[in-house]
Parts: sequence; C-alpha cells; structure tokens
Amino acid sequence: MSLAVEAVNVVKVFGDIHALNKLSFKVKPSEIFGLIGPNGAGKTTALRIVSTLLLPTSGTVRVFGLDVVEEAAEVRKIITYLPEEAGAYRHLSGWEYLEFMAKFNAKDESELRRMVEEAAEITGLGERLKDKTKGYSKGMKRRLLVARALMTRPKLAVLDEPTSGLDVLHAFHVREIIKRYVKEHGVTVLLSSHNMLEVEHLCDRVALLNKGKIVAEGNPKELKEKFDSANLEEVFAKVVGLA
Amino acid sequence: MLKGFFNILIKELKELVRDPKILLGMIIVPLIIFPVLGGIMSYSVQTAQEQAQKATVLVIDNDGGKWSQEFVNLLNSTAKVYVEKNVTSLTDEVVQQLLSHYNTTQIIEIPKGFSENVTQHLNVNSTITATLKFYGVFTGSGIFEGIGASLIDNLVHQFNRIQAPDIVLTEKSSIIKGEIKQGVDPASLSGLMMSQSIALPITIMILLQVAMQIAATSVAMEKEEKTLETLLTLPMDRFAILMGKLSGSIIVAAVGALAFMIGYNYMLFSFTMQIPAEISVDLASLGLVPSLFGYLLLGISLFVTLISALALAVIISAFAEDVRGAQSLVGYIYPVIFIPALALMYLDISSLPFALQMVFYAIPYSHPIIASKAVIMGDYWTAIFGIVYVAVFTIVLMYAASRLFATEKILTAKLKFKGLRRRRKKTEEEF
Ligand SMILES: Nc1ncnc2c1ncn2[C@@H]1O[C@H](COP(=O)(O)OP(=O)(O)OP(=O)(O)O)[C@@H](O)[C@H]1O
Ligand SMILES: [Mg+2]
Repeated sequence: MSLAVEAVNVVKVFGDIHALNKLSFKVKPSEIFGLIGPNGAGKTTALRIVSTLLLPTSGTVRVFGLDVVEEAAEVRKIITYLPEEAGAYRHLSGWEYLEFMAKFNAKDESELRRMVEEAAEITGLGERLKDKTKGYSKGMKRRLLVARALMTRPKLAVLDEPTSGLDVLHAFHVREIIKRYVKEHGVTVLLSSHNMLEVEHLCDRVALLNKGKIVAEGNPKELKEKFDSANLEEVFAKVVGLA
Repeated sequence: MLKGFFNILIKELKELVRDPKILLGMIIVPLIIFPVLGGIMSYSVQTAQEQAQKATVLVIDNDGGKWSQEFVNLLNSTAKVYVEKNVTSLTDEVVQQLLSHYNTTQIIEIPKGFSENVTQHLNVNSTITATLKFYGVFTGSGIFEGIGASLIDNLVHQFNRIQAPDIVLTEKSSIIKGEIKQGVDPASLSGLMMSQSIALPITIMILLQVAMQIAATSVAMEKEEKTLETLLTLPMDRFAILMGKLSGSIIVAAVGALAFMIGYNYMLFSFTMQIPAEISVDLASLGLVPSLFGYLLLGISLFVTLISALALAVIISAFAEDVRGAQSLVGYIYPVIFIPALALMYLDISSLPFALQMVFYAIPYSHPIIASKAVIMGDYWTAIFGIVYVAVFTIVLMYAASRLFATEKILTAKLKFKGLRRRRKKTEEEF
C-alpha cells in the first residue's frame, strides 16, 4: 500500500531564506502525523508544499503516490487544507460558507446535505451558523474552518495548527473530532503545531522540525524513552542542544 | 488629546513612508500626467500649424471679374490656391469630385456678380454687399477643425480693411460625410462636437478606473481575508477561479458599459446649436451621431477594453498583499488611461504626430475614445481594427493571468521596491 505522504529531500528557498533544508518524512495511511517545531521552523512551508500551494525548490513530495507538482490537480481531489491563518468570507453566513465549500466536492445534493450537516455539528455553533461570519470570534471561525476541512472526508487532511486560537475546551473538542474522523472514516491527518503537549496526546507519530530540518521522528512515547525525557518539550530541548 | 493626535499622525506618516507604493502612486501619477499632456498638446499645436501652412484651397471663381482676381491674389499670399472657373451648380456630387480632384478640404466660391457688387458698394451705394461662400469638410479633428474657416475670416477681414468696412460677407457651410450642410459653420460645429467629446473620455476614464478597482479588490480581498489559500487547494481548475472572479467584474462592467451607452446616446441627442440665431441644428439631424451599427461597434469596443483592463487589474493585484496595496498598484496604470483620454478630448488622433499616434494606438484604453469619433464619422474600420487589437491584447493578458494563477506566484509574488525600502536584515532570532 502506498504511503499517504512521502516527502524526500525537500528544499524550499525564499530569496536568501532556506525555509526547508532537505526535509524528508513519511506519513502512513490513517494515522495522525504531527510536524512540530518552533516559530519559523518551516512547518507551514512544508504543509503548503504538500497541499500543492508552493513548489519545492528541489526534492519530491508524493500524496498517495501522486506527485504534488506533476499531478497537482489529482492531489487536490483527495486532500483538504486548513491554512494557519484562514478566514471565511465575511458576508456569507456560516451555513452559506459550508455550502459554498461543499459544492466543490459533493457529487450530488444528498452528499452536499450530508457534508454541511456533519460540518454544522462539528462546529458546535448551532443557531449562530445563520449569522454572517464577520461577527464570529476567532475561535468560532476556526471551528467553522476545521469543520469544512473534515466534512468532505478527504483521504488526507492537512491541518496547519488546527487548534490555534481555541480555548482548552474547544481545543479538546476539535482534537476528539480529528481522532473520530481518522477512526471512523479512515482520514489521514498531517498537522502542525508548536504545542508539543497537545501533540503528544493526539498524534500517532511526530517529526520534530528545526530550521527546516527533521531533528527527531517517531512515536511520542518512544521519543520520550529514547531521550529519557518527561515530555516532548524536553525531547526537543535535548535534540537542539539547549539542555 | 493633542498628544494622541500627534502620535497617530506620526504613525500614519511612518506607515506611508514605509509603503512607498502608495506614496509614489500619489506623487508620480500627477507628476507624469500633466507634463506629458502639456508636451503632447504643444507638440500637436506645432504640427497642426505646420500642416495649416501647407493647406490648399480650391477657389471656384464664377465671377471672373477684377475684384475676384484681387481676392485670389490676396489668398495666394497665405495658402496654396487652385482656381476653377464657372462651376455654377455646386451639388454634393460636384463638390465631392472637385475635392478629390484637388485633394483639398476647403472650397471658396466666388459667386457671379461679386465684382459688380463690390464696385457698386464702392461707387454707388454702400448698403450693397458682396458675398463669398466657404465650404469646409468636417473631419472631426478637434480643436484644429476651425483653422480653415478662420483663414477665410482673416482674409475677408483684410480685404475689407483695405477696401471698405463690411463690403464682403462670408457664408460658411460644412460638408459632412459628403453632404453640404448650408449655413453650418465648421468652427462652431467643431465646438459643439468638442463639448460632447469631453464628456465621453471622462466617462470612459471613470468607468475603466472603477472596473479596475473592483477587479483588483476582488483578488486582493481573498488575500487580505486569507481565503485564497483555501480556494487554491480546492479540486477545480485554477483557470475557473480566475474566470469566475473576472466574470463577476465583467458583469459589473457590462452593466456599466450599457448604462454608459444609454447616457451617451441621450447626451448626443440633446446637443443642439444655434446657427445663426434663428436656425437651430442638432447633431442628429446633421448625421453626426453614430448609426446603429456604429453604436454596436462602440459598445463592443468599450466592452473588450473593459475586459482587458479587468484582466490587467487581476494580474497586478496578484502582486499585492492586501486591498490597499492592490489599489495603489492599479493606480500606476492610471496615467496610461488618463493621458490618451485627456489628449483625445481636444485632439483628434489624426492630428497627432506619427510617433504619438502609434503610442496611442498601442494603448488599449484609447481605443473606445478613438472608436467613438470614428463611428460618428462613419469610419467603421478604425473601430473594428481597435476591437481586434484590444481583443488580442486581452487574450495575451488572460493567458498571463492564468499562468500566474497556475503557479505559486499568486501567493508569493511581491513587488519589491529595492533600495527604497531597507532590505530586511536576516536575524538569527528568526530561526
Ligand atoms: N512567502 C514567503 N516569502 C519569504 N519567506 C517566507 C515565506 N514563507 C515563509 N517564509 C520564511 O520561511 C521560514 C519558515 O516559515 P514557516 O511559515 O514555514 O514557519 P512555521 O514553522 O510555520 O512557523 P510558525 O510556527 O510561526 O507558523 C521563515 O523564516 C519565514 O520567514
Ligand atoms: Mg506556520
């Protein structure tokens, strides 16, 4: 069976900034894989390349065997991408936004209804879905967008900091939903976070990213054992030589 | 309170200075437009004067007397004169033949009895006057239209000063699309045409400007509101995104163009002039409004030009990070729209020096204005050529826009003003 994501020696250069420096990692189908690292480590850049938004300067990325550069259109059919700082259309209501987005993927009316209703439930917004999104709080907007990324049950969901801006309870709720989708619908999740504690509970495997390079990779539990640390933060501090 | 005011003022100025696109747009645009326009004007006036000196006049001498000879001699000192004798019936056909035979655009007819009347005036009765007839071909060439007519006015004035005041009067007529319109002075006609041809370029200018702002905003909004990234990862052809966005603006533009045509038509038909006080003539009855086909061509010309402006605006806005940036970038296109529009208000493209003509023809935004004059004069080929040119230009732009949407450039492209902005120093803390 082909890998969900296979990144090999990915380099991305912006002017004179090396955002990614020979990055390689593998995501297996139906797992939750976390890219973690400090600000500016290159997480967003890596996820954008996987999502066909950016072209790698060199190296290759395959999503379920499809090349993100050569077969970008095919890749877009099986993924969804949640940008780190996304917005919804201000003049549309939450419902209208979900319907608008669902129309790109739904094959028929009944599938469209299924998607929107499922998404509505994920958001937990209830009646507020009828309001224009410009009146939503940051967290409400985030939940709407997470819901939209999951409702189509993509083969791969690329989520850039899915819980950013959410309070503890809503972050917990979103994590549970992500887990549920992976279990029930076989969705593969590639996410990023700089909250290493959250990732420990959520991810099957993680890659620690620093300055555009993977510095450690594996199951959170194994990593903690290997580096003899109490949590991933400590692991990270050890591998980058701070501790 | 004052402290807060100054604090905000200083912050505003700082932001403006650090985003030179906006400031440059504000300063460069007027700084370019007016000197360039002034240059075009004076250059054109010079050219027109040179052309006027080379102008030819056909004199039809039906009088053949002493005084008509005198008048022709006077005329000879200022213009190149051809003389034809005894053409009594000046029908439309005869006039056309003469004009093309002598390759001229102005005819002075000295009617039979001219010398007799002058002699009578001088010797017998000073209430008797002699009349000259002037026929000028109306070419729609803007402020230079009146030159021929004023030439004859000067001559008659000179003649009268030498001989006797009010001895010779002039009757001026225009030849419009091959038809003689008796009593219609070409100079006042061109004044009338100009007063309406000022409104037209202004409206086209505003329409183009508004349409470009709409299109630029629609793409920049997606960037500013951070919805573009999501859109670009959806399972659809990116060309569809581009076309969807463009079509939205095109619909707005089409409605704009339609409203424009209706308003323009209304305006044309409401223009009348009084020549002399008792007869009133309107442009429609002189045949100086476009035919239905002409309107159609003008509408199409306006529409394709709008689309090309929209496509350009979309491309430009891809280089901006937000709405404000997109609008100021689009502002850099304005001189290209404004200069031809303003220049063509007063000047006909044919009266411009050749090199400038080429520049104006190359700018797509001048074509609806050129077409508007051309269709009035029944010159449909100019309008059609313009439409084809602008359409090709638009297709090239659309291709470029679709290329831009197909790559990551739509997300990462940025216009850098190197040197103006201090290069961001790469600091280690960033990592
Ligand atoms: N479009 C761009 N142009 C220039 N440089 C960029 C661009 N996008 C990212 N970078 C640079 O690439 C590096 C990695 O950025 P990236 O956004 O991938 O980091 P990140 O790990 O997502 O950080 P964060 O946790 O803050 O979101 C940074 O140094 C950033 O400045
Ligand atoms: Mg990021």
